[in-house]
Amino acid sequence: MKNLSFLFIFGISFFPLLCFSFDPETPTDRRVLVLLDDFSLKSSHSIFFNSLKSRGFDLDFKLADDPTLSLRRYGQYLYDALILFSPSTERFGGSLDLAAVLDFVDSGHDLIVAVDASASDLIKNIATECGVDFDEDSSAMVIDHKSYAISGTEGDHTLIASDDFIQSDVILGKTKIKAPVIFKGIAHSVNAANNLVLKVLSASPSAYSANPKSELSSPPLLTGSAISLVSVVQARNNARIMIAGSLDLFSNRLLRTAVQKAGSPDKYEKSGNEQFVTEISKWVFHERGHLKAVNLKHNKVGETDEPAIYRIKDDLKFSVKIYEWSGKSWETYVADDVQVQFYMMSPYVLKTLSTDGKGLYHASFKVPDVYGVFQFKVDYLRLGYTSLSLSKQIPVRPFRHNEYERFITTAFPYYGASFTTMAGFFIFSILYLYNK
Amino acid sequence: MARSLAGFLALFPFVLICGAASLFQPISDSHRSAALELFTPTHGSFKSLEETYEALRTFEVLGIEKKPDVTATACRSISETLGSLTSTPKDLFYALKANSIVKCKINEKTSEGIFTRLNAAVNGASSLLDFYYSIGGLVLIKGQTSKADVYLTDAEGVFRSVKAFSQSDGRWRYSSNNPESSAFAAGIALETLAGIVSLASSEMDQSLIITLKNDVSKLFDSIEKYDVGALYFDDKLVDGREHQGPLSTTSSVVRGLTALAAVTAGSVNLPGDKILGLAKFFLGIGVPGDAEDFFNQIDSLACLESNRVSIPLILSLPSTELSLTKKDSLKVRVNTVLGSNAPPLTVKLVGAFSSGSKDASLVESQELKFDAETGVHILSNLPKSIDVGSYTFVFEIVLHESEHVKVYVTGSQTKVPIFVTGLIKIESAEITVLDGDLGSIETQKKLDLAGHNAVSLSANHLQKLRISFQLTTPRGRAFRPHQALLKLRHESKIEHIFLVGNSGKQFEIVLNFLGLVEKFFYLSGRYDIELTVGDAVMENSLLRAIGHIELDLPEPPEKAPRPPPQPVDPYSRYGPKAEITHIFRAPEKHPPKELSLAFLGLTILPLLGFLVGLLRLGVNLKNFPSKAIPATFAILFHVGIGAVLLLYVLFWLKLDLFQTLKLLGFLGVFLVLVGHRILSHLAATSAKVKSA
Repeated sequence: MKNLSFLFIFGISFFPLLCFSFDPETPTDRRVLVLLDDFSLKSSHSIFFNSLKSRGFDLDFKLADDPTLSLRRYGQYLYDALILFSPSTERFGGSLDLAAVLDFVDSGHDLIVAVDASASDLIKNIATECGVDFDEDSSAMVIDHKSYAISGTEGDHTLIASDDFIQSDVILGKTKIKAPVIFKGIAHSVNAANNLVLKVLSASPSAYSANPKSELSSPPLLTGSAISLVSVVQARNNARIMIAGSLDLFSNRLLRTAVQKAGSPDKYEKSGNEQFVTEISKWVFHERGHLKAVNLKHNKVGETDEPAIYRIKDDLKFSVKIYEWSGKSWETYVADDVQVQFYMMSPYVLKTLSTDGKGLYHASFKVPDVYGVFQFKVDYLRLGYTSLSLSKQIPVRPFRHNEYERFITTAFPYYGASFTTMAGFFIFSILYLYNK
Repeated sequence: MARSLAGFLALFPFVLICGAASLFQPISDSHRSAALELFTPTHGSFKSLEETYEALRTFEVLGIEKKPDVTATACRSISETLGSLTSTPKDLFYALKANSIVKCKINEKTSEGIFTRLNAAVNGASSLLDFYYSIGGLVLIKGQTSKADVYLTDAEGVFRSVKAFSQSDGRWRYSSNNPESSAFAAGIALETLAGIVSLASSEMDQSLIITLKNDVSKLFDSIEKYDVGALYFDDKLVDGREHQGPLSTTSSVVRGLTALAAVTAGSVNLPGDKILGLAKFFLGIGVPGDAEDFFNQIDSLACLESNRVSIPLILSLPSTELSLTKKDSLKVRVNTVLGSNAPPLTVKLVGAFSSGSKDASLVESQELKFDAETGVHILSNLPKSIDVGSYTFVFEIVLHESEHVKVYVTGSQTKVPIFVTGLIKIESAEITVLDGDLGSIETQKKLDLAGHNAVSLSANHLQKLRISFQLTTPRGRAFRPHQALLKLRHESKIEHIFLVGNSGKQFEIVLNFLGLVEKFFYLSGRYDIELTVGDAVMENSLLRAIGHIELDLPEPPEKAPRPPPQPVDPYSRYGPKAEITHIFRAPEKHPPKELSLAFLGLTILPLLGFLVGLLRLGVNLKNFPSKAIPATFAILFHVGIGAVLLLYVLFWLKLDLFQTLKLLGFLGVFLVLVGHRILSHLAATSAKVKSA
C-alpha cells in the first residue's frame, strides 16, 4: 500500500514531463534513452555521455534486454531520441523491437546506432532499414594497411585513422577536425538507391573489409572509398539517424588517445574522435541545422498589403524570414542560395533570394503573362539542413477589357477614315438638304 | 533480472578486449591525467566526505603532485562531522577515512566521544554494514590518535557475531534476516574481521582465524574467468537495488583479503595465479570514465601492490610491433601493477610460435639482457628464424632471489602476440596483353610498383590481361600478403575487384575478357587499373594506379544484366538550382508610327477631295428655311447630328459603351423629333414648289 501511494505520487509528479513531447518551437531533443549491452559502457564511454549531459540531455541508461523497456506509453513517446550502444543484442527486452524502433524514427525522433564486430542481425536490420548495409561477413572488420593509426600495440591494422570527412559545416561544425578519427569496427556501404543517407566518414581507397585472421578466399565485398565508417540519414520528416560501424569510436580510450596516421609525420595529442562525436551528436539531436521559415509575404511593388489576386505582368515583391535553431534559441540564418519559385505545374520563375543578413530574404519579379493558379514555393534542400518546403497559393488573372492599350498608332488610319467619313456625312447632310 | 545479468556478464569482456588484447600495461600517465579530470572539486571541495576520500586516496596512490588543494575545506567538514552528535557511524567512518589522508588534528575530547559512540555502535550492531562502519571507524581512530587503549573489550564475541553471517560457499550475508549472500559482502566482512583482529586486546583464538582463511579459499573457488587470464568476482543473485558491478565486487574482496593478510600471522593460502588474475582484471579495464570505478581500480591495485599474500608482477611490452628492416630490438618491461620497479629478475624468451600454427617453437630459449638505466629487458637481435609475420612470443620471468619467489607472483608463462614487420621487396612486375588463342604476347610493359606508372593499353574481348610480380621478405622468403587486389574501374565508376593469386614468390593474375564480358556489363571504354598490396606486417603496403586499359567489348545482347546504379555525389544533389526567368510573349509587331501617320494623312484626302468637289459644283444653302421656326429646327437637327458624331469621337476617346448608348438614346429621340419637323417642313416646301 505504501508502495502504491508512492508510485502514484511519483506518477503525478512526472505527469508534466510526459506531456512535454517534441515541440516544433524547440526542436532539440531532451530525453534520450541509451540502450547498452552492459553497464560498464557507461564508464568506458563516459566522456561522450558526459558531454551529452552537460548539454542538457536527460540520459536514461538501460540494458538492451531490460524487460521493462518501452518507448511509448499511452500513445505518447517517452523519449525524443534513442542511442543504441548494444551491438550484440539479438532481441530487445520489453515491448521494443525492430518495428518499434522504426516507428519511433518515423514519428520524427532521432537515433544513434553504433555497432562493432559482434553486431547482431537485429541491429544490422535496423541499419538496413535506414539505408545502410553492413558487411554480411560477420567476422570482417575494416582493415587498412596504408592509413592505419600507429599504436605500437595493435599490429593488425584494424585500428584505422580516417580523415575523409563529409564537406559540411552544418554536420561537423565550423571548426575543421584536424586530427584523424580513429576507428575500429566493421564496414558498411550506403544504399545507392537511397538518396537520404550520407557518408560522413569514409575509408581511404586502400581499405577493405575482411577477416584479419584468415586469408582472403574471394574478393572482399566492400573496398576503398565505397566503405562508409559513419553515415547519417536525414529522413523526410527531419528525423536524424547516425550509424557508426564502431562502438569504440565513442569510447574514452579512443577519445583520449594520441594519434599518428601511418605515413604521415603529423602527431596529434588527441584523436579527432571527441570533436567528431560531439559535433555529429549536436547535429543528430537537432542542436544544429534545423531551419524554420516564417513571415512568408508577398505584395505588389509600391504597396504593403497582400493582394488576393495578381494580374499578369504585375511587379511583385516576395519575402520570407528563415531562422536556424542553435540548441537554445532561434538565430537568423544567413545564406545566399535560398530560392523562390513561382510555380504552376512547373516553375515559371525561379529566383535566388537576396538577403539583408538578418534572416530576411526577398526578391522582386514580374508576374508571368500566363494566368491560372500559381504557388509561391520555397523548397530549400541543403546538405545537412532540415528541408524547408513552403508554398502559398495565389491566382493570376489576365488583363481586363479596359486594361489593354487604347490608342494604337497603327489603327489611326482606320479612325481617320471613320472620322473623315463622319465629317463628310455631316457636311453632305447639310448641303443635301439646303442646296438649291 | 537474471537474464540481464547474464548479458552483463557475457559482455563485460568487451571492455577488456578493447584494452590491448591479452597484454596488460601497468598504470601509466594516462591514468594520472584521467584522475585529475575525474576528480575535480566544485568550489574547492568535493560533494561528500566519501568522495573526498576517494579522490585523495586516488591522488595519493598515483603520486599526483599537482592535485587540487582541498585540505582546508575537507578539514572543516571532517571536524563538523566528527563533532556532530547526529552523524551516523557511516558518516564518522568516511570522515575518519578522509582524515587518514588529510591528517587534520582531532582533539582528544572529540576522539574520546567518537570512541565511545562507535563502541556502543559495535555492541548494538545487527547487520554486516553496521559492523563494517563502526569497526572501520575504530580502526581508523586508533591510527589517528595518540590514545593507546583503543581496543575492543570483547573482540572474540564481536568476531563470532560477524562470522555468523558467513555462508558455506565463502560468501556472506548482509544481515541474519536477509538470505541472499554475495561476494561483495564477503569483502566487507573480511575487512571488518581484519579490523576486529587488529583491535583485539589479546591474541585471538587461532582456530577462528583458520576457519576464516578456509572461507577465503572457498570464496576464491567461485572466482570467474575471462579467456585472457583475468579473474574477477561477480554477484549473480542479488536484487537490482544493491547490485554491485564486477569491478566493485572484486575490489571489495581484494580490500578485505589484503586487510586480513596484513593483520594475521601466517600466509593466506591462495595460488599466486589468482592474485595475478585479479591484477590483470583491474588493469584490463583500462581507464574507467567513472570516478567510483576509477577509485575502485586504483585502490585495489594499491592493495595488491603491497599485500602480504603475493605481489603480482606484470610483464609488458612498450611495442608489440618490431621492424626487421629497422632492426628493432625486443624490449620487455616488468613492473608491479602501479608501475614501480620489480626486484632483480631475468626475462627469458622461451618460445616463439607463428600465429595460427601449432608447430614447434621457432626459437631456442634465451635470456634477455637487462638494461638497468631504463629498466628494460632487451633482446637486441631477433633470431634468424623470425621472418616478417605475426607471432606469439612466450616469456618467462625468473626471480633472482629465492625470498622474492614467495613474495612475488609472476605467472608461469606470458604469451604476447608480436608483429614482426619489414620492407617487402617487389620485383619483376609487368603487365601484359595476351592474344587469346595462341597466348602470344601483344604488348608487354614493365612496371615500377614503387614509383609512378601510367601505362595505357588497349584490348578487345578476345584478349587477356596478365599482371605479375614477385614479393620477397627481407630474409629472402616468399611473402603472401593479406591484401593483393586488382581493381578495374570503368568510366562510369563501376568497379571490379580481383584477387591476385600466387605460387611461391610469383604473383600472377590473368583476366580473360571473353569470360568477363557479362561481369563487365558489356561496357566498353576506359578502365583504370589499380593494384593494392598490403599486409599488417608489410611496411611498404602500396596502392598504385598502374594506368588504364581501353577495352573494346561486344554490344550487349538484349537480356544482358544492367549495371547497378552508382551512388550520386551528395554535393551535386543539394546545390541551388539554375534560375528560371519567364520569357514574356513578344508584343505584336506594329508598322512604324510614321507610316501609320502617313496613311492617316491619306485618309483625310477623300474628304478634302469631296470638299473641293462640292466647291467646284458650287453648292449653296439657298434652300435653308428663312422662317424662324423651321430655321431653328434645322439648326437643332444639324447640331444634333453633330452631337451624335461628337459622341462617337468621345466614345473613342474616353466613354464606354453604356455611357455612349445612354447619351445616344437621348440624342436619338431629340433627333427624331427635330428631324421630323425639319424634314416634313422641307418635304412640304418641295411639294408646294412642285405643285406650283
